[in-house]
Amino acid sequence: MARGERLTAGQLAARVLIWAVLLVSAALVLTPLLFMFTASAMPAVDIVTMPYRWIPRGFHWQNFWQAIKGNDGSFMFARNLVNSVIVALAVTVATVLLAGIAGYGLAKFPFRGKNAVFLLIMSTVMIPFEAVMIPLYLVSTRLGLQNSYAGLIVPFMVSAFGIFLMRQFLITFPDEFLDATRIDGAGELGIFTRIVLPNMTPAVATLAVLTFRAEWDSMLWPLLIAQSERMKTVPLYIVRFASEKYTDEGAMMAVAVLASLPMIILFLSLARYFVGGAALYVSRKG
Amino acid sequence: MGGTRRRKSSGFERRIARWGFGFVAPSLVFFALFSFYPILNALYTGFFDKRLLSLRRPAFVGLRNYAFLLTSPDFWNSLRATFVFTLGTFIPLVLVSLILATFIMQVRRGRKALQIAYYSPAVISSVVAAAIWLSILEPRGLANQWLNALLGTPGIDHRWIASAVNVQFSAMLVYFWKYVGYFVIIFIAGLASIPTTLYEAARIDGSSTLQAFGRITLPLLRPTVLLVSIMSMLQCLRTFSVQYLFVQSGAALAPINVVTLSIYNTGIRDRMIGRASAMSIILFIIMLAFTWLQFRTSRADETTF
Repeated sequence: MARGERLTAGQLAARVLIWAVLLVSAALVLTPLLFMFTASAMPAVDIVTMPYRWIPRGFHWQNFWQAIKGNDGSFMFARNLVNSVIVALAVTVATVLLAGIAGYGLAKFPFRGKNAVFLLIMSTVMIPFEAVMIPLYLVSTRLGLQNSYAGLIVPFMVSAFGIFLMRQFLITFPDEFLDATRIDGAGELGIFTRIVLPNMTPAVATLAVLTFRAEWDSMLWPLLIAQSERMKTVPLYIVRFASEKYTDEGAMMAVAVLASLPMIILFLSLARYFVGGAALYVSRKG
Repeated sequence: MGGTRRRKSSGFERRIARWGFGFVAPSLVFFALFSFYPILNALYTGFFDKRLLSLRRPAFVGLRNYAFLLTSPDFWNSLRATFVFTLGTFIPLVLVSLILATFIMQVRRGRKALQIAYYSPAVISSVVAAAIWLSILEPRGLANQWLNALLGTPGIDHRWIASAVNVQFSAMLVYFWKYVGYFVIIFIAGLASIPTTLYEAARIDGSSTLQAFGRITLPLLRPTVLLVSIMSMLQCLRTFSVQYLFVQSGAALAPINVVTLSIYNTGIRDRMIGRASAMSIILFIIMLAFTWLQFRTSRADETTF
């Protein structure tokens, strides 16, 4: 419909309806987030006032102090937050590098059995983590990996989806470019790190944000492998904090805010990669 | 390998092939260790009465773990909880995200902002999502306040967590809230891939927007609808965090004792590794069946424009 075109009454009504549905749904989706932010600034009494005050009367900073200090005053939250950052970053870097180089190998190097190798890798998406966690736990404990960063990181260092994404992206990478650098005498590994990797920023950024998000959310594996408080990650801290008997409602929401802030900042600054990453599934068959 | 000289092209090709395989090899080793070996190990352990921390050699019990599970009311309850959760979550997810995506495609301004708004719950973690909702669903929380205002029934506690039926609904609500925007984005990508020329042709032929949706959009979107359905279904079958946090915060276990939670409790809390492995294999087979369905339907649905 071109701009300035006259709308009939029916079309106008349809437009109003569409906008109403879209805006009401957006408001409903955002309500719990707004609740989290406002409640984190309120004393517990205010959170259960009827009707709920959407504008806090002041900033109840004690919630955040309580969140960081913990109910037992051990400051374990800070430590767990650091753990989460270390683990998520390490998994992200490893996944980008390993998936990048494997995708490069599959996209640009003809070798015997390549298709079989690709199918074998893709078949692992059919093996859900939940079905292999018990054996993985047994092996990891036998290797002495409980309560260690290695134990948290190593089982997630690469993903089939990551390899698929990198391969799809690199298939269209110009061969002449690679051949030219080869003639200049560059080593194959050097070509990957100096030529290929810097030229695949969109794919790297997409894979990086998706991996980081998934790791930040990950809870089942840390629950098995990190039993000591010092090695726990943020989701485990939240579970513990939520299940403690006299947890303050406002402090709980302050924990939620602090746990989400890194992701929210990352999302707002890199939204297109999050959104583009989700959309990749549609072109999956391509 | 630096010493290889390019005397003939076959030598160069062999060198390239070796590098190519070398680049893939680390990932292959990884998947062998962390995907293929553990699933085979689970299959093997499922035939033994293996206990965690026990020094006794595990006894071979054949199919007895499976026989136990298939006659255990607890395990059937877990399957029921998983399927109720999956059906109750993925159907609204697919329907609502399809409607929202279609509507977003109808507006010219604000598309980006709307997508970001819908997607935003997907970036916070499942446990945080569950914690926020636990707070909203409190007896004196926002959910009761709003529902009572809507129904005109002041002061009623709808027991969102305390009642066995409602707690299942509450778990679905958390999951639905967290993922609806994610699937909206996927549908928008699917809708954007339909050539606009088709709609122009339809308009010239005099069809209405609603007709165009039924005759063009829906048939061409079929592959995306199927993909999203299976994807969301597989994701729902794997749900763990929301139910775990609910139970840890005092909800009754039985109504929301999904299979993943049951595997965790059997294997780690009760230390029955053999039985937990058998459960893992059953979950694996269920998910394999759905994945197979996805491959079949997506192959039958190749569309060309």
